Amino acid sequence: MRTNGKLAQLYLVIVFIILYAPILYLMYYSFNSAGTMHGFDGFTLEWYKEVFHDTRLLIIVLNTVVIALLSSAISTILGVVGALAIQRVRRNRPRNSLLAMNNVLIVSPDVIIGASFLIFFTMIGIKLGFTSVLLSHIAFSVPIVVLMVLPKLQEMSPTLIDAAKDLGASGWGVLTKVVLPFLRPGIFAGFFMALTYSLDDFAVTFFVTGNGYTTLSVEIYSRARQGISPSINALSTLIFLFTITLVVGYYFLTRRGSKKPDWGVVQP
Amino acid sequence: MKQLVRLFGAVFIIAIGLMYFTSYLNSSQGYSGANTLTIYNWGDYIDPDLIAEFEEETGLKVIYQTFDSNEAMMTKIEQGGTTFDISIPSEYAIDKMKAEGLLLPIDHSKIPNLGNIDPRFMNLSFDPENEYSIPYFWGTVGIIYNTELLEGRTFSSWNDLWSEDLRNQILLVDGAREVMGFGLNSLNYSLNDTEEAHLQEAKRKLGTLTPNIKAIVGDEIKMLLAGEEAAVGVVWSGDASEIMGENEKLDYVIPEEGSNLWFDNMVIPKTAKNIEGAHKFINFMLDPEVAARNTEYVGYSTPNAKALELLPEEISQDERFYPNPEMTSKLEVYKNLGKKMLSHYNELFLEFKMHRK
Repeated sequence: MRTNGKLAQLYLVIVFIILYAPILYLMYYSFNSAGTMHGFDGFTLEWYKEVFHDTRLLIIVLNTVVIALLSSAISTILGVVGALAIQRVRRNRPRNSLLAMNNVLIVSPDVIIGASFLIFFTMIGIKLGFTSVLLSHIAFSVPIVVLMVLPKLQEMSPTLIDAAKDLGASGWGVLTKVVLPFLRPGIFAGFFMALTYSLDDFAVTFFVTGNGYTTLSVEIYSRARQGISPSINALSTLIFLFTITLVVGYYFLTRRGSKKPDWGVVQP
Repeated sequence: MKQLVRLFGAVFIIAIGLMYFTSYLNSSQGYSGANTLTIYNWGDYIDPDLIAEFEEETGLKVIYQTFDSNEAMMTKIEQGGTTFDISIPSEYAIDKMKAEGLLLPIDHSKIPNLGNIDPRFMNLSFDPENEYSIPYFWGTVGIIYNTELLEGRTFSSWNDLWSEDLRNQILLVDGAREVMGFGLNSLNYSLNDTEEAHLQEAKRKLGTLTPNIKAIVGDEIKMLLAGEEAAVGVVWSGDASEIMGENEKLDYVIPEEGSNLWFDNMVIPKTAKNIEGAHKFINFMLDPEVAARNTEYVGYSTPNAKALELLPEEISQDERFYPNPEMTSKLEVYKNLGKKMLSHYNELFLEFKMHRK
C-alpha cells in the first residue's frame, strides 16, 4: 500500500512538471537579453519595460479583460435563466432535445462558429469590433453556463420549493431566497468557466475582430508569424502571475466563506 | 443572493471602468475617427518607427492590424465589416482579388515616388500596368543549410537535396506550390507546368525524397532551423535572411535550375474609407530612405532601385538575396493556374505528404 501511495505521488509530480514546465520555460526566457528563445545570454528586464511602454499592447490586454468580464457576466445571467427554463420543461423528450441542442453548441468546432458569426454579422450589418466580439463571446459562453448550472438544478429537491411556498414565499422570493442561493456554486463555476473560455478563445475571435479592435490571443498569433518576441513572454508571465494571484485569492475567500454556513439547507 | 448581486455588480463596474480607461488611452493616442488609416499587413512586416514617422508627417493616425495568410486576409476583406485602407497580399492573391472585384484602382498621379521602383518589378503578369498594386517586397524560394552540421557541404542544385547522406535532415515549408515547384524545377520543368505527365514525374521524384525529409512544417521552420533541429530547409528568402541573422552557421542558396520569384504588393481594398491617406501611405513607403530603412528592418529584398543604392554594400551586393541577371532570368512568378489545376497541385502535394518512407 505504501509503495502504491508513493507511486501515485510520483505520478502526480510528473504530471505537474509536464503541465508547468512550458510555462516556466517561457518565463525563464522573458528575462533573456539575447532576444530569442535559444541560448540564454544574460538577465534583463528590458522586455518588461517594452510591455509597459507599448500602449497598443496595453489597450489590447484591457480589451481582452473587458470582453472576458462583460461576456462572462452577461452569459452567466442568460445561462441561469436558460437552465431554469429548460428545467421547467416537464416532459422528457423536449427537455432532452433542448439539452442536446445546448451540447451541440459546446462540441461544435470553434472555427465553424467563428465563420458563421462573421457571415452573420456582416450580413445584418454589424461592424466588426467590440460589439461583434462581445456578442460572439456571450454566444459561445451561454451553453457552458447552462451545462454548469443544470446539474445543480437537478440535484435540488422539489420539496425545498414546496416548503418555501408553504411558508408563504412569493415566486420571486422562492427564486432569490431559495433557488439562486442553492445554485450559487454552479453559477460561480459557470462564470469562471466562461471567463477562461473568453480569455483564451482564439478561433472564434479571429473571425470577428476588426477595425483596429483585437484581443490578446489574436494579436499574439499574428505576431508569432515572425517569431515570438520576448516581450510576449514577459506579458504572458505577467498575466500568468496575475491569474495565480486571482486563484489564490479566490481560494482564501471561499475557505473563509465555507467556515460559517450562510443558509439553512444542508450542502450536498 | 446578495453575494451574487455583489459579484456581478463588481464585474460590471470593473469592466466599465476598464473600458473608460481604454478609451482614454485610445484618445490620448489620438485615435478619434475620421483621421485614421487602417493598415492590414503580415505580422512584423514593417519597421514600427516608420509608422510613427508617417503619423507625424501626415497627421493621420495609423491602426495597424496583422494577418497570417493571404486566404484569411481575403476572407475578411471579402466579407466587409471592417475598413482596411491598405493591405499587402502576395501576387497570386492579388490576381484572385482583382478577379473578384475586391480592389480599388490606384491613382498613379498621386504617387510621385513610383519612379523609384526598378522597372523589372513593374508590369508583371498578375497586374499589368500596376493598376491595382504597387510592389512592396520580393524574394525567392531556396535552400538554407547549416554549414557546420554538414561539415562544409554546399548546395547548388535542387538535386543536391536527394543526396544519400542527408537522411532525415530536411525541413520543408508546408506549401503545395513551393514543394511541387521545386519538384518540377529539379526535373528542369517550369514550376507553372500543367502537363500531367510532368506533374506525375515530379510527384514520383518527390516520393523518393521522403527518406531525407524530417518534417513538413509551417512558420515554426524558422525557429527549428535557427535552433539547429535540422541541417537543411527549403524556405522563402526573407525567412532565410531572418534565420541567418539569428544563427551565423546558416547559408542560403537559390538553386541553379531556377526557382520561384514572389512579390508582396500594396493594394487598396474595396473596403477602404481613407483612399487619400492610402495613396499618401504608398507614396511614403516608396521614398528611397524610408524603403531602405524598412528593408534593413524586415530583411526581404526591396524592389526600390533608389533604396537599393542607399543600402550598405553587404546587403545590396548579396547575390543570395539580390540575384544577378543570369540567375534572375531563371526565376519564375507563379501563374494563376485556375481553380482546377490548383486543386490538382494540392492533391499531388497531399499524396506526397502521405507517401511512406
